[in-house]
Amino acid sequence: MKPIIELRGVNKYYGDYHALRDIEADIGEGEFFSLLGPSGCGKTTLLRTIAGFEDVSSGTVHIGGKLMEGVPANKRPTNMVFQSYAIFPHLSVAQNVGFGLRRRSDLNAPAKQALIEDALDMVGLDGYGGRAAHALSGGQRQRVALARALILKPKVLLLDEPLSALDKKLRDQMQSELRRLQRHVGITFILVTHDQEEALIMSDRIAVMFEGRIAQLATPQQLYRRPQSRQVADFIGVMNFLPARVTGVQGDAVALEVAGLGAVQIAAEQAPGGAATGQASVGFRPETLTILFDGEAPKGRVADGVIDEVTYYGDMTYYAVRLEGVEQPLTISMRNVFGRKVLAQGEATRVAWDPGALVLFG
Amino acid sequence: MDARTRWGRFSRSEAATGLKLISPTALYALIMLAVPLAAIVAYSFLTDGYLEIIWTPTLENYAEAWGDPLYRQVMLRSLMVAGLVTLATVLLAFPVAYYVSFYVRPGRKSLWLFLITIPFWTSYLIRVFLWKVILGFNGVVNSSLMGLGIIDEPLTFILYNVNAVVITLAHAYAPFAILPIFVALEKIDRSLLEASRDLGESTFMTFWRVTLPLAMPGVVAAVLIVFIPTIGDYVTPQLVGGPEGRMIANAIQLQYLRLDNYPLGSALAVSAMLIVTAVSLIFVFLNRRFLRVKQ
Repeated sequence: MKPIIELRGVNKYYGDYHALRDIEADIGEGEFFSLLGPSGCGKTTLLRTIAGFEDVSSGTVHIGGKLMEGVPANKRPTNMVFQSYAIFPHLSVAQNVGFGLRRRSDLNAPAKQALIEDALDMVGLDGYGGRAAHALSGGQRQRVALARALILKPKVLLLDEPLSALDKKLRDQMQSELRRLQRHVGITFILVTHDQEEALIMSDRIAVMFEGRIAQLATPQQLYRRPQSRQVADFIGVMNFLPARVTGVQGDAVALEVAGLGAVQIAAEQAPGGAATGQASVGFRPETLTILFDGEAPKGRVADGVIDEVTYYGDMTYYAVRLEGVEQPLTISMRNVFGRKVLAQGEATRVAWDPGALVLFG
Repeated sequence: MDARTRWGRFSRSEAATGLKLISPTALYALIMLAVPLAAIVAYSFLTDGYLEIIWTPTLENYAEAWGDPLYRQVMLRSLMVAGLVTLATVLLAFPVAYYVSFYVRPGRKSLWLFLITIPFWTSYLIRVFLWKVILGFNGVVNSSLMGLGIIDEPLTFILYNVNAVVITLAHAYAPFAILPIFVALEKIDRSLLEASRDLGESTFMTFWRVTLPLAMPGVVAAVLIVFIPTIGDYVTPQLVGGPEGRMIANAIQLQYLRLDNYPLGSALAVSAMLIVTAVSLIFVFLNRRFLRVKQ
């Protein structure tokens, strides 16, 4: 992967407030990269640092191999889609899209017009050029913002929570459309979002941020299956935690005692944050646990429990199961199969689990 | 539906509540504004007969008001003075409003606006007199410049002429221009300016292409607020304008109170009103054009 953006030791202070802490990342050419984290984690600050709206307190930002220190936003090869879309209210749709073309002295008016029409066409707004910008809906405003940025053929497109203002249905549609658009233009997209599902669906890689720091930078699958810390595991999807004790670490194998599940041996790669003897906790995703229905043969290991709560979603049922000797119930998701009954609260059940699905946190 | 229920429904409606709320003001405005205005319009078509009014309708007064070069000159001077004052005030007010809106931190803005309105704490008349002191033959400006040896004898072109009127009025109306421009600037979404920068424009071009067009409704409002009252200003030209700084209000006053020629005074007043209306309408239409594109 050839990096288009290199962040080295980036720190940002606002007075005493440490907004970005030692950010290290390479973002590849043509990559769909997401900055994911709760509000106030510094993800927008990092994006604005790349865009040139904030300068770094220490460290360096390179874009396309060039050091960006002292380069203002209007001289950077990046363009941004703002959270509010920032559509110019006094201009028409076409004037908005063509805003950045004024400086292209190599193009004459008809050539610019053709570029504007292509850009509108690309985001599905062909024929909207003459409309007043303020007469657009939220989804259309976003498309205008996209076209306005992409028409300048930036090396990197920065998107600051672009979907958060849209309703769910439109958001789902725009997610796949953005992804399609990114593959089509081949430009690096950097998306800031607080929605973990959105980040998983859209990204090639995700940087999860907490308190100004990148907690983990990985592909969606790695992030979901092998989160490095409880914080990351908790932020992305649902994770069941059980208290555990590491009894021994030998080469590639780690021996543990897990509350309610007993002794187990796992591979070292199941402890992405590292393992040391002593108190620890383990995590299971809800779909890695299986409720055994009558007569089913267990795969892997089995533990006994009681159904504590049942939440029926139609295609899925979420069970909260209390294992013997464990306070905290486990959440188990089961795909509903035609003809199989849904268990009721209070029923005794057996839970099958696979030691390979477990993640150990130090 | 009979009239009684219709009246009952009307008296409970929101429109009726609104009318009841404004009726004292409306009544006051009707008696104190509309009636005198109608009287002036009526007077302007009557004939002057020295100590009495002759009830013969005539257009003579308008012929004189528009035909006499003296009145024409005074009217043109009023237009020019109001135009200059408006230009000076708006040009000087814009940077102040811009500074307060963009560079003063939010917690301090109300303090700044408060400071801008300080000139209103003293009476308009006193402020005009102060300018007399500042600009006079032995005034602050002249004695300072003479004391510094920059000039040998007092400048005379700064008092009792059009310049003095423009300076005094521009100072008096500055807050009226600053406030609407400030409000328009405050309403501009700051991310629009970032978007313009992001799309490759410099700070200056961002101002030219985004800030200024979006501030235009405020500028137009400032123009109207300054232009309309200054064109009819009476006190300032009377006190600092001298004979060559006389404006239309002074001419009207002369006809009414000195020469007792109510019909001609009225014709001048109505003419001035029509001119102001025409100029204002142009700006109102301009403003509507700017407002239409705003969300």
